[in-house]
Formats: sequence, structure tokens, C-alpha cells
Amino acid sequence: MRTQNATAYRFLTPYLLIFAIFWIWPIISSFLISFQATRTVPWRFAPAFNWGRLIGDPAFYNALKNTLLILVIQVPVMISLAIVMAVLLNSPLLKARGLYRFAFFAPVVVGEVAYSAVFRLMFSLDFGIVNKLLESVGLAKIDWFSNVTPAMALIMIAVTWRWAGYNAIIILAGLQSIPEDVYEAATLDRVSKLKQFFHITLPLLKPVIVFCAVLSIIGTMQLFTEPFLITERGGPGGGTETLGLLLYRQGFRSLNFGYASAVAYTMAGLAIAITLVQLWLTREPK
Amino acid sequence: MAAVTLTNVVKRFGVFEIVHGANIDIADGEFVVFVGPSGCGKSTLLRMIAGLEDISGGKIAIGGKVMNDVEAADRGIAMVFQSYALYPHMTVEQNLSFGLRMNGNPKADTERRVKRAAEILCIDELMQRRPKQLSGGQRQRVAIGRAIVREPQVFLFDEPLSNLDAELRVQMRVEISRLHKELGVTMIYVTHDQTEAMTLADRIVVLKAGNVEQIGAPLDLYDDPANRFVAGFIGSPKMNFIGAKVVETSNSAIIIELVNHGGARLRKPLRDAFPAIGAEIVLGVRPEHFFEAGEGDCDIPIKADVTEHLGSVSYVYANAGPEELIVEREASRQRAGSDHFTVSIKAERSLLFDKSGARIR
Ligand SMILES: Nc1ncnc2c1ncn2[C@@H]1O[C@H](COP(=O)(O)OP(=O)(O)OP(=O)(O)O)[C@@H](O)[C@H]1O
Ligand SMILES: [Mg+2]
Repeated sequence: MRTQNATAYRFLTPYLLIFAIFWIWPIISSFLISFQATRTVPWRFAPAFNWGRLIGDPAFYNALKNTLLILVIQVPVMISLAIVMAVLLNSPLLKARGLYRFAFFAPVVVGEVAYSAVFRLMFSLDFGIVNKLLESVGLAKIDWFSNVTPAMALIMIAVTWRWAGYNAIIILAGLQSIPEDVYEAATLDRVSKLKQFFHITLPLLKPVIVFCAVLSIIGTMQLFTEPFLITERGGPGGGTETLGLLLYRQGFRSLNFGYASAVAYTMAGLAIAITLVQLWLTREPK
Repeated sequence: MAAVTLTNVVKRFGVFEIVHGANIDIADGEFVVFVGPSGCGKSTLLRMIAGLEDISGGKIAIGGKVMNDVEAADRGIAMVFQSYALYPHMTVEQNLSFGLRMNGNPKADTERRVKRAAEILCIDELMQRRPKQLSGGQRQRVAIGRAIVREPQVFLFDEPLSNLDAELRVQMRVEISRLHKELGVTMIYVTHDQTEAMTLADRIVVLKAGNVEQIGAPLDLYDDPANRFVAGFIGSPKMNFIGAKVVETSNSAIIIELVNHGGARLRKPLRDAFPAIGAEIVLGVRPEHFFEAGEGDCDIPIKADVTEHLGSVSYVYANAGPEELIVEREASRQRAGSDHFTVSIKAERSLLFDKSGARIR
């Protein structure tokens, strides 16, 4: 047994080595960097430099506010939508199920740049199909890119479009694991389909929904692609700047790695904290 | 409480006809068991009565009212599933009361019914547990409790005991019997276990490949099966089927020769049909209906291959010629040694079947 384990670890060594160098070390290193002043070379140890700046930085609070706003609106909307989509996908009345499943999953594999470009076109002020549709039903067109509220809405719509199907597929798997006879028993118990959904389906899906919510929270905390590509680097005027963008701006535009690291650790810490609160709120009653 | 009547009930799944016109009359308060081999359509019939499957043809009436177009929820039935189908996220108490709560039943009445069901089934202690924290037998009780709480006109059971171990099965069998006495409600019970059918039923419906083979009281089926299938299905161990040929007929009896047993002959009085001389027929003898040499009407020598001692009786598996025979004998140590012995068949304790399996009386 011992020698078997030893052999196994010898085979694992190359992987573990690479894992340590490119994964564990950066995590530790960025933590250390967050305590260094990195604006000038050589870097020097200054514990309060970045963290102190973070606490008083309006740009940080702006990014934090935007990120959390997207989080509390987009994640629940998307998960609800995903549940509805999953239930529809699971309906025995549905034809061509495989096709829908593929269609729902497709946004995840579409290139980010292409998808962002298409969204920019669709929402463009004068030529976009969205505004054309709004006008055709007698509504005013919306300048999606120059005002903060529509821009935030656009980000949320885009993220929801990209990830709702993905979550729906996961929830569908959860739905299919609920045995049919439980519903039959409920039918014989004279429980309506709607009540079955709220009193049987949702509670039994809870672990899957929590899983999806945790994934989405972690994803949204790191939100970068959409504000970077669709609303052009957090525009208008930082109105859609997220923590991910702030990190990028500080780290890779200003090359201020210390501050970027502090932002990164804040994001991770928040994601963990929110997830823990969520897990605690939805824990199984003992 | 209600009678259940099935008239020419047909079930088709697509082009496959699964049930071919079943006619079954179940009286109010009766305990009827549907029995038959796997895939014969027992569950399908039950689910049609419950309203979980559409009826492709014929009529199902409960309490005199045709139910074909009545929703499952409104048929006044309760069903106990083989898999229990408990609500996994609810406590036992919530499982029992769920249906009533969802329908706005007065709280006091719900509590009364749940309490009564819990008492009947001795599950008071388990009320705050979840299904995952229960044993198989306890889950089964809760499933039955959920049915009791509904105070239905008809109880349906689909193989409720098949997931339990042998000992628990016997115990639950007795409890279901007791429950039927206590509630006096019509019960329809599906099983493929003939022992369960025999012990529980007022009447048994034997099914085979979607056809009703025979309906009758347990002992009537045992004594007077309509055909070879029922004869073989009811009774354990199975009835022996011995190949025979008609050698003589008179106006009240025939004489047959047991072709695989050295030409032993049996005279069998008949009432209705008289097969022609030379016709191949089958003689059915239950293991418990072999007698000591000379006591019956026809002696056949056999050689024991294997003997199973059950304590009260022993079963001898004898490969006499090409036909395996199972013979029940009184348990006895002395006999254990000798392989060769002679058994005797009594005409009145044997049955005749023609080649197609129909009974010849
Ligand atoms: N949804 C369905 N679609 C097509 N065929 C079905 C369906 N449900 C059942 N059948 C067929 O109907 C026949 C009867 O099935 P049923 O479940 O009633 O058998 P059963 O007597 O209850 O058997 P078991 O003892 O194994 O439970 C089987 O041949 C089965 O393959
Ligand atoms: Mg079945």
C-alpha cells in the first residue's frame, strides 16, 4: 500500500509541481504583493498602503456598488428564469428536446468577443433591433450606452442571456432526479400542479439551485467581459465599472500590482462571505 | 366505501395492447388481489383505476359512477406505491398531512386524522423524522398512513411489500389484513407473489399477459383452477405437470397412461369433455397430493435427487424420467437415506389439462 502510494505520487509530481508554481504560488504571492507599495520600483513592504487606499477609494466603492447591484438583481432573475426554462425543457409535451438543450447551452460556447459585438449591434441607438422593436410598439428608443441605468440593465441582460441556459441544464438534471411517483402521490393527494411545483419541486431542487446560485455569485463577483467589451470598459463614465474591471485597470493599465492584488483579495473574500451566508440561509433544517 | 367495476377495460401504449378487455367486479369492502407474472399488466390495471393512466377502452366505475373522465384526484382512491413515494423533504407528520393541508382541510380534523393513522400504524414515535431516517418497513407504514389519512373509498396497493425482507413482509402482510378488517374499505392489492395473494385476498384475480385467467376465492383457485396457468401459479411449490396419453374412454371416465413413468395408468372420472383415444394430455398433481404407495389409484416409482428438509415437511425433487417431480413428504429422518421409493396419485386429487392448457373436467 505504502509503495503504491509513493508510486502514485511520483506520477503526480509533474502535475503537482506545475500546480504549485502556477497556481499556489501566485495565490500566495499576490497576497504578499497586496501589502507592498508597487507604484515605484523597487517595491517595498507597506502594509497599509494598498489596503488603506482601498478603504478610502471612491473608485473602489463605485465598482463594489455596481458589482453588488448586478449580483442582487441579475443572479435571482437568471436563476428564476433558468428554473422556468428547465421545467419547460422537462415537459413531456416538448418536441425536439435535444435541440432546445443544445440551444440553451450554446451561448456558453460562443466566443466572448463575437457575442459582445453582436450585443453592441443589437442595442445600438439608431440601428439596433432592440430599439427598432421598442419603436415599433410605440415606445421611445433607449440610449443603452450613454446612460448608467440602461447600461447596467444591458450588462444584466447580456450576462443573463449567456448563463441562464447553462444553469437551466444543471437544474434540468436536478428535476430529472425527482422520482415521478412522488408527483403521482401528490396528484392522488389532490395537490394541484402549481402547488406541487412550490411544495415539492422547488424544495427538492434546493440543493441544485443553491449550487447554481453559488456558481453565479462567484462568476458575477468576477464580472469582466461584459462591462469591458459591451459597455466599453465600464462606461458610461465608470457607471458599469465592476471590481473585475477595477482590478484590470489597476493591475494591467497602471501596472499597480499591489493595489490590484488587494482588490482581487477583496473580491475573493466577498464571494466567500456571500456564499457562506447563502449556504447558511439555505441549510437543511435539522 | 365503494364497489369497483371494470368492464371490458383495454389499455394500449401506442400500438401495443397491454390489457385485453378485463372484466372484474369488486364488491364494496372486498379485498381483491391482482396476481400474475412480471409484465402481465397488474400495475397498469391498478394505475388505470387510480386515474394515473388513461383508459384506452371499456369502462371503470367506482361506487357506481363511471370514472373514465374523472381526474385521479377526484376518484376517492388512495394508492400505496411499491417505492413508497414519500415526500423526501417532509417529516412523517408533514407527509401524512400534506394532501389535507393543501386542500384547506380544517386543521383540527387534519390533526385528528393524522393522529388516528399514526395510532393504527404505530408510527407515533416517528412523526418528526424524515423518510431518509426510516427503515423500509417504517417507510411502508408511513406510505400506508398517508393513504389512511385520506379516508378513501378504495385503497390501491402496488406491490407494497416487495422491497422488504422476508420476515418483515410476513409481519406487514398481517398488518394489512388487520387494517382491512379495521377499516372495512375496498382494497385492491397487486403482487406477483402467490403466497401474498393466497393469504390476503377475499378473491384473487389471476392475470397473464393482459388477460384475466380466473377470478375466485383463494381456495377455489387452489382446488379448481380454470387452466394450467392458474394451476401452476397458485400453490407453492408449483403443481407437477405429468405428461400422459389417453388409452381408453368410457362414458364417465378415461384411462390415461403416464408415458414417462413406465406406463403407469390412472382412471379419471370425467364430467364434460372426453378427449379422443391417443390424445396427449397433462396430469396435474400438487406436491402435497402424493400419497404412500398403494393408498392412491396409481403408483409410480421415483428416485430422489435432492431432498429439502423444511422441518415440518420435506420436499423431494425427483427426476423421474425426463420430468422433474416435486413431492412433499412427511419429515422423517429414516427416509432421508433411501433414494428410491414409490408414490401414489389419487384420481380425485389430480387435474387434467389438454395440450393447450385448458382444464378437462
Ligand atoms: N408507459 C409504457 N409504455 C409502453 N409500454 C408500457 C408502459 N408501461 C408499461 N408498459 C408495458 O405494459 C406491460 C405491463 O406492465 P405493468 O407495469 O402493468 O406490469 P406488471 O404486471 O405490473 O409487472 P411487474 O410485476 O413487473 O410490476 C409490460 O409489458 C410493460 O412493458
Ligand atoms: Mg408492477
